[in-house]
Amino acid sequence: MSKHTTRSGISLKQVYTPGDLQGLDYDKHLSNPGSYPYTRGRRSGAGVGWIQRELSGEGEPSRSNEQLKYLIEKGQMGIDVIGDSPTMACLDPDHPFAVNAIGTQGVSLCCLQDYRELYKDLPLESISVSNSIPPAFAIAGLYLVAKENNIPAEKLRGSVVQAPFYCEDCGYSMHMPFPLRLRFTTDSIEFCSKEMPRFHSFLEDTYYISEAGLDVVEEMALGFIEMRHVIRALLARGLDIDTFAPRIAILLNCSMDFFEEIAKIRATRRLFAKMMKEDFGAKDPRSLAVVIASHTSGLSLTAQQPFNNIVRGTVQTLALVLSGVQALEISAFDEAYRTPSPQSHLVGLRTQQVIDLETNVIKVADPLGGSYFVESLTDQVEKRIWDKVMEIEGLGDPAELSDKGWFKKFFDNAMERYAREIKNGDTKKVGLNIHQIPEHEDTLLKEGVEEKIEPCWDRIQKIKAFKEKRDQDKIKEVLNQVYEKTKSEGENVMFPILKATETGATMGEIAGMMRLAYGFPYDPHGVIESPPGKGI
Amino acid sequence: MDKIRVLIGILGMDQHEVGAIAVSRMFRDAGMEVIYAGRFNLPAMILQMTLEEGADVIGLSCHSWEYLYYVPELLELLKEKKLSVPIVVGGSVITPGDADVLTGKGVAAVFGPSAEADEIIETVKRIAGKGIAG
Repeated sequence: MSKHTTRSGISLKQVYTPGDLQGLDYDKHLSNPGSYPYTRGRRSGAGVGWIQRELSGEGEPSRSNEQLKYLIEKGQMGIDVIGDSPTMACLDPDHPFAVNAIGTQGVSLCCLQDYRELYKDLPLESISVSNSIPPAFAIAGLYLVAKENNIPAEKLRGSVVQAPFYCEDCGYSMHMPFPLRLRFTTDSIEFCSKEMPRFHSFLEDTYYISEAGLDVVEEMALGFIEMRHVIRALLARGLDIDTFAPRIAILLNCSMDFFEEIAKIRATRRLFAKMMKEDFGAKDPRSLAVVIASHTSGLSLTAQQPFNNIVRGTVQTLALVLSGVQALEISAFDEAYRTPSPQSHLVGLRTQQVIDLETNVIKVADPLGGSYFVESLTDQVEKRIWDKVMEIEGLGDPAELSDKGWFKKFFDNAMERYAREIKNGDTKKVGLNIHQIPEHEDTLLKEGVEEKIEPCWDRIQKIKAFKEKRDQDKIKEVLNQVYEKTKSEGENVMFPILKATETGATMGEIAGMMRLAYGFPYDPHGVIESPPGKGI
Repeated sequence: MDKIRVLIGILGMDQHEVGAIAVSRMFRDAGMEVIYAGRFNLPAMILQMTLEEGADVIGLSCHSWEYLYYVPELLELLKEKKLSVPIVVGGSVITPGDADVLTGKGVAAVFGPSAEADEIIETVKRIAGKGIAG
């Protein structure tokens, strides 16, 4: 950042003065926290704090359950679980492509029994349960386990990531056509708006897309593009905006440009409120005040001198807390070379707790509100995000842009740009392209570098045996229902998914039948046959 | 002299494609011919493509730990077919310890995240000559 600009290229002055706030109307642009347009926060008052959690998930479900209990015991207030790469791609662990990836980058989940083990003895009625797992399946798993434990679905809190636009381009390919991905999203949101009204079934995830190296303007512009498209699709079904809008949340990234990240969050709240009111006619105040969760940037971390990552996580967390987010998690300091160790999880949690309990920063809401600099930057970031949204929507239907690979190219360009900035030193990374030290000196916190998580090969036999033991006729029947109801546009796919899951069908089988219903191959890799269902 | 033919692929469920694309471009710019196998390959598929395309070098981009198992499997398959096509491995997750293990098993060269373009190209040019099928 040798130029005098923010990371996204906004020119910075040496100093900001009252002159930079000319035209600022307090009631119209800021207002008090908890009041429209919610620039200063979605709730009135201070001291509410945030849900402190760490992203977790590793190995088989029972191992992840232990991990969750460890974190809760250490003070974690909510859970956030991510699936391993086969789970994220809707493939069962017995798929030949899954073998060496089972449980190494997240938890392996494919059937109801897995969710039972994952959530065993957890207080589902009182803790918020967030998921980065294919949405319809994550919801089905949570809903069914709660039901078995006599926990009313309307009590469930938490969120699930909806990523219909960009998952195929950003490392979470499910090998499904866009209309089917959108169907997953809209059906699961509609289902939750009725059955799980406290659950944030529409978590817009701009975190993982911005890890391609997007700047804050690009990150939020693409997030708004996706939200607007999904909202329009839900309205087109005849849903009232206020039935689902209160349960929209955004999971965003927080990188190292401290004030720009703060401005991004304040601008996002204001843009969201205006959009919901003016473009979509929302009336319920809860529909206007978006919940913001955040994950600190994994991309900003380095494998060199990993102790610097603790500092990075702390600075980013402070930015988020000063912005008034509702939940946050810190990318573990060892993330550059492994999935988080228990030690790095603890460092993340303790960082949050120190900021919460020792610094007093949460005692005043929006403490930076009114700053000449912060307000001016918030305005500029807001304008740039919205200009970008209009520019992209002006290019045509975003669904078509997605099909044509326009977004893929956008991400590729961002990745190249980021790599170039690191290489030529425009973006400084202490320990990586400046202030390096020889490898033999770089030993602090590097004990875990060579530790590996072995794939859970046991799962393959276990799942195969489970599949064989089922009542095959019943499985065939429920999978056929999945196929038929997915083919029929008027049906909500959540119901056949719930029925199939409850009966013992797996995610891989259900997803395969849904691909077939949309004219795609059952197995995207062409190596397994369709199960005892629709033999097409 | 014929152009060096490099097969570039990613293994298993690893979905990180940026490195593979960047390296492919780099090799093409250096005058090599790239056969791009893309994502989602198992060792047997890489072997088959190597045979069909007559690749001189196999380049594997690794950003998940799956390569720890797939690369030795591919080495075994090449041995079974009595093919001496060299394997070059590069990626963000490769630690110094992994690099030692892989070269010990017969991988021709290993590049970590900080490898320079010139170094990679020179190495591939050097080892390509040694890879004689049959």
